[in-house]
Amino acid sequence: MSETAGRSVASTSLGPIDFEDVFEAAPCGYVLADKDGRVSRANQTLAGWTGKTALELVGKRFSDLLPVTGKIFYETHFAPTLHMEGSFSEVALELVRADGTRSPILVNAAVVRHGGDIAQIRYTIFLAEERRLYERGLLDARNKAQETIVSERAESELREQFIAVLGHDLRNPLASISSGIHMLDKETLSERGKKVIGLMGGSVVRAAALIDNVLDFARGRLGGGITLDRDAAEPLEPVLRQVVAELRSIAPGRTITANYKLDRPISCDRVRIGQLLSNLLGNALTHGAQDEPVNIDASASHDELIIAVSNGGQPIPSQTLERLFQPFFRGEDRVKHGLGLGLHIASEIAKAHGGTLVARSDTTATTFIFAMPLAE
Amino acid sequence: MIETAALGTDRPDIAKLLNARTAGSGHRTMMFAHGFGCDQNMWRYVAPAFEADFRTVLFDYVGAGGSDLSAYNADKYASLDGYADDLIALAKALDVTDGVFVGHSVSAMIGLIAARQAPELFSTLVLVAPSPCYIDDGAYKGGFSRDQILELLEFLDSNHMGWSEAMAPVIMGNADRPELSEELTGSFCRTDPEVAKRFARTTFLSDSRADLGPVDARVLILQCRDDVIAPASVGEYLQRAMPGSELVQLEATGHCPNLSAPEETTAAIKAFV
Repeated sequence: MSETAGRSVASTSLGPIDFEDVFEAAPCGYVLADKDGRVSRANQTLAGWTGKTALELVGKRFSDLLPVTGKIFYETHFAPTLHMEGSFSEVALELVRADGTRSPILVNAAVVRHGGDIAQIRYTIFLAEERRLYERGLLDARNKAQETIVSERAESELREQFIAVLGHDLRNPLASISSGIHMLDKETLSERGKKVIGLMGGSVVRAAALIDNVLDFARGRLGGGITLDRDAAEPLEPVLRQVVAELRSIAPGRTITANYKLDRPISCDRVRIGQLLSNLLGNALTHGAQDEPVNIDASASHDELIIAVSNGGQPIPSQTLERLFQPFFRGEDRVKHGLGLGLHIASEIAKAHGGTLVARSDTTATTFIFAMPLAE
Repeated sequence: MIETAALGTDRPDIAKLLNARTAGSGHRTMMFAHGFGCDQNMWRYVAPAFEADFRTVLFDYVGAGGSDLSAYNADKYASLDGYADDLIALAKALDVTDGVFVGHSVSAMIGLIAARQAPELFSTLVLVAPSPCYIDDGAYKGGFSRDQILELLEFLDSNHMGWSEAMAPVIMGNADRPELSEELTGSFCRTDPEVAKRFARTTFLSDSRADLGPVDARVLILQCRDDVIAPASVGEYLQRAMPGSELVQLEATGHCPNLSAPEETTAAIKAFV
């Protein structure tokens, strides 16, 4: 180092550095203090921020530059950490100016030791007004969002409990109607009477499916989940045929073709798979072209069960395809009946079986494919 | 006696809960309790000096250091009594009788409360930078106005000043500080920010002056120079309020002499126990 006109200048291979100037005019505040935090030197930048002269700051404790809050934090946490860690960074404090106003600051501090003892503490200070405003904004937004979540969650729980109770209450009268229909069916009826019984039966089927879906949904959201009762011993085909028969009775004018190739034991919950097919089929009948057939293909290979339901009509746009399986999603055409739960429940049933439910749609056909792995 | 048993079985592993560390050996036990803003590590330069003559016990209050954060309960720890209960439970679990209690800052009062409830635990109380009440009250000078303390609590509510988040240690890679390379950064003075807010409320709004007065235990008060948190007026008040207590004025400045002047602190305690 060489002394040039009283200033410390070091010549390095990269050129001279005026350390005095680097210290005084740093773009941050710089404070050198003794082991007790008493200021031995503060740079011009900091002096400017405090509204005092650098000389006035000498002898003050670093914590004297802070408001009471900062003093308490300094003595109970900052200083102990410095003693034990040797440094402390990114401390958010406030600087008290000579006129009493406060500036948000960020402080880094590090100790210098000689032997084992602290010889000096060095602090760098950055103004942090903008940062602080930004942080406050974020905190406020987060708090508001959390409040919203809490209240919405409460509302949602109430709603779902209501749905669950309603679903249960509706099943009873429906069961009565259903047995009444079966009893009437055994009576001698006129042609018209038989037709009416048929229609009533169809309505009961639809209503029952709706209640099932609603209850499943409520139970799923309340944490019950879709429970399965797997049984590989019982055949699946009769259940699927029954579902198709029920839906044929509801839509007498429509063509529904079904192909079954289920020649092996299938470990699944038959009732649930029946529900899945019922939802897919109902969906196809409602939303597909009314003058085109609906096709069902159910096949079981050595390692997979596949049930595909396809219909004709306008293709489903890709944005809609993405959201089809969300609960309550009803697409653009709200006029068509339905709560928007059928596909969601079907996809939950697929998931519960370790399988998938995907939708494909183009100008030729819209197809929903359920695929589930089978053990060898 | 039945009460004692109940306390013991209430908290099956209080030592684990409070991250208690025992060391040293001696027929008497010395328990070190940290204050607000820090953890048991603040005793690292003082406690070892007593291991030759005492069984030393260091621990973290719930919410600090390596304690079980899930045990934090805002209602229980809304008053110093909650902390005192934990201290008593730990001391009993460790079969402490006729022991020495060394408490820093608000911990000094926690120790006093515990000693009143269970006098058989400690026969010596060392109060380091203690204060029974931080808010000025008429003639009593605690050091802060009520507004200032309320401002502190409000500020803590909406500002993360620098408490270590989630109390997870971070390995420090520091080639130029070999003495620290083995240790974990952020592992000292760990305090959960949420707990800090509430502990600050409990501490700085507390008024333990009613717990002062004669005690069976011998009492040592260590007073620092220039301590903003526990000023000289408070030390003197304490000494007058606890007849028979001894007040030792340290040369050390600031609030944590156990860190800024560990030899002086150790010597003062050794001279008394």
